[in-house]
Amino acid sequence: MAVDSKTVFDRPVTLRDVVTHYCPGCTHGVIHRMVSEVLDELGLRERTCGVAPVGCSVLCYNYFDTDFMEAPHGRAPALATGFKRMRPDMIVFTYQGDGDLASIGMGEIIHAANRGEKFTTIFVNNAVYGMTGGQMAPTTLPGQITTTCPMGRDTSLTGEPIRIAELLSALATPGYIERVAVHTPAHILKAKKAIRKAFTLQRDNKCYTLVEVLSTCPTNWGNTPGEAIEWLDENMMKYFPLGCYKDYVEPEGS
Amino acid sequence: MISLVKQHRLPTFSKSILIIVGGYGSGKSEVAVNLSRQLVNAGSAQVAIADLDIVNPYFRSREASEQLTSLGIRTINPTGGQHYADLPIILPEVKGAIEQRQGVLVLDVGGDDVGARVLSSLSGSFEEGAYEMLLVLNGNRPFTADLDGCLKMINDIESSSRLKFTGIVSNTHLLEETTAQIALDGLELARQVSRRSDLPVAFLSGLKEIIECDEFDNVDVPILPLERLLLKPWESSAGDE
Amino acid sequence: MAKVLMKGNEAIAEAALRAGAEGYFCYPITPQTEVAEYLSKRMPEVGGMFLQGESELAVANMLFGAASTGKRVFTTSSSPGISLMQEAISYMAGAELPAVIINIMRGGPGLGGILPAQADYFQAVKGGGHGDYRTLVLAPSTVQEAVDLTMLCFHLAQKYRNPVMMIGDGMIGQMMEAVEFPESYEEPPLPSTDEWAATGALDRKARIIKSLFLDPVGLENNVLILEKKYQQMIREEVRCESYKISAENKILIVAYGTMARICQTAIDELEADGVSVGLFRPISLYPFPEKEILREATRKNIKSVLTIEMSMAQMMEDVERAIQGRRPVHFFGRSGGIVPTPEEVKEQVLKVLSIKRRTAKKK
Repeated sequence: MAVDSKTVFDRPVTLRDVVTHYCPGCTHGVIHRMVSEVLDELGLRERTCGVAPVGCSVLCYNYFDTDFMEAPHGRAPALATGFKRMRPDMIVFTYQGDGDLASIGMGEIIHAANRGEKFTTIFVNNAVYGMTGGQMAPTTLPGQITTTCPMGRDTSLTGEPIRIAELLSALATPGYIERVAVHTPAHILKAKKAIRKAFTLQRDNKCYTLVEVLSTCPTNWGNTPGEAIEWLDENMMKYFPLGCYKDYVEPEGS
Repeated sequence: MISLVKQHRLPTFSKSILIIVGGYGSGKSEVAVNLSRQLVNAGSAQVAIADLDIVNPYFRSREASEQLTSLGIRTINPTGGQHYADLPIILPEVKGAIEQRQGVLVLDVGGDDVGARVLSSLSGSFEEGAYEMLLVLNGNRPFTADLDGCLKMINDIESSSRLKFTGIVSNTHLLEETTAQIALDGLELARQVSRRSDLPVAFLSGLKEIIECDEFDNVDVPILPLERLLLKPWESSAGDE
Repeated sequence: MAKVLMKGNEAIAEAALRAGAEGYFCYPITPQTEVAEYLSKRMPEVGGMFLQGESELAVANMLFGAASTGKRVFTTSSSPGISLMQEAISYMAGAELPAVIINIMRGGPGLGGILPAQADYFQAVKGGGHGDYRTLVLAPSTVQEAVDLTMLCFHLAQKYRNPVMMIGDGMIGQMMEAVEFPESYEEPPLPSTDEWAATGALDRKARIIKSLFLDPVGLENNVLILEKKYQQMIREEVRCESYKISAENKILIVAYGTMARICQTAIDELEADGVSVGLFRPISLYPFPEKEILREATRKNIKSVLTIEMSMAQMMEDVERAIQGRRPVHFFGRSGGIVPTPEEVKEQVLKVLSIKRRTAKKK
């Protein structure tokens, strides 16, 4: 072997060297890795505290090598608010799924965003309740089959899926809100850029930041990993268009 | 029979509306209630008292309404279940009483600028020069313990109520722990506030047993003796003791 | 410092600042809103953090996050709001976090009313939220005691890394009394928050603040760790007071908070009529002063015990448990915001005494 080989790819320091519980084809791992890379690159790991949700990523504190709090279902933004208000010098992020954030925690996320709390939310949207075995989520697509809508989501009974990025962007308080996907390398690169921007804005004490990441759930969707990627690309991307919904603008006079 | 009770000069008013305002815990309600009684005793034909306290849930002048009614004082308070509500209820009768100006109307207003804000909505009904607005001062309350605090209170209440004060009531006390000295120190504070604000000290008020001390013989402002009517559940009324 | 006249709610707020509270989270509810209004002015003055949240649910969880920093934080609310906070209180107990929660109780159930009550005794003392946990509960009966106990709450929360609750009926929050704040605040040494708080994984392993233990052995172990703390509380934190307890007492009243003050008036008046009655006042409701009550209740001359509450025989269950059937335990209480008068208390005492006399005659 050549003695002068150099490392071109390695595990980020923030990502622990452990086996995760995530299913094959689930994109939580990719998102974890990108958050870790960003915390490494910005040198924030040692002053970061994450907030874990209830959902498939409930155990994410086992994978990030930062301090962590485990929140009650939906309350991660409230914990993050309390923590960040007491320690504005620290970096705080919530990692939440669609059931946690868009259903039981809707009140907390809207008010945290509207107060302009200076933490970052990584919102993982896979259109289903993963942890409890694939029930209907607020983001479940019309007609999508889940264990609690076995005939497909009937929007006349359950309403249309909630578009969180659009909803939160309607708030007048300054913030940064972008929707990304991670099912192709090109999308992953864009997603990482958004995550990096969010943490950078937080580091500079600018505004509330949220990155919504469209994610797969082959196990609960009943797909192979490859089919899951195709399903996301064909269905979720249409209903949840990618893009920056709210960009941070410096307030006038600052 | 010759009364042994000392007779101080009692406060009298030429205006028909007396607005009693002050900081939280200054003793406004106790002053308003006792003042209404005093006006009846002094021969005022029609006395009405309106409870405009929308900030305190307990210890409001409405709790003495039974006693006041028995003295022939008209009480204007929310009744029935609303008596106990913490809702900002301003009865239409209040506006009517202000505008009709029959007899004397005493308005017991909630504490601080927050409580006095209620006057703002009624301010259109007050004819200038037709009312007295009295600041009840208690120097033992944290936000009115010194001259600056009192002046700030005057300023805050005037801007939230959109009405101007016309006088000061010196009501410094520590409830059952009040001494003559505490009341007199309070009067000194009221005089300082009076000099700086150009508002006269309208009267001093204090518990009957305190203001009967010799130290009050030479006080040059009218004195209103107070009998506590708003009691805590474990206190028996002064008359029993 | 000279005495000042303060409303209970303001005094509690000021006491928290004197005890080093750096963060306060709130949601308005009668009859405790003055705490929030007072601190909205005072917190910025002392460089502390004041935040009005969107609900008590959120507020309690903000407290959870804030407590994780190791700083002294608290919230205040009233009965319906405290119900909403139970989720976070359970989680904080499980995650071993110090926080102070003050409940200025109103009548319930449901929206109830705004007048004073003690009807949240079970909720405070028996758990409130889900799971195997306890909160340390203190109950003041004067505004001065509310000041002293508020300060103590912050110490005990840190000492045990557990939520500590102070409960006072609405009267405690709303009434004005003369109070004195200590010149300086001293407290016994406490374990350093460096050992457990989330402060960033700099030169140490990352810390996880959690109550999730999927492995039952791990969860039971966590419960046993908590249980050990509760046993320590039982040994070290029982607080109580007695009033006119003597060998002449035929009857012992047990009452706490405002109710105890009303009983004192009744006892004084009964004494003047030649009836000797003693009062036992629990100050810590958890841990409950079981041994102390048993000792006083089983004095030779005491024929029976009368529990008086502004609730429906809630504390009575603990009194009965303490007395272990060795004396009859009677109950009198009013609810819904009605505060018993000294006359009613006197009447009940005489009634209980006459029951005793009648049964004595039969024998």
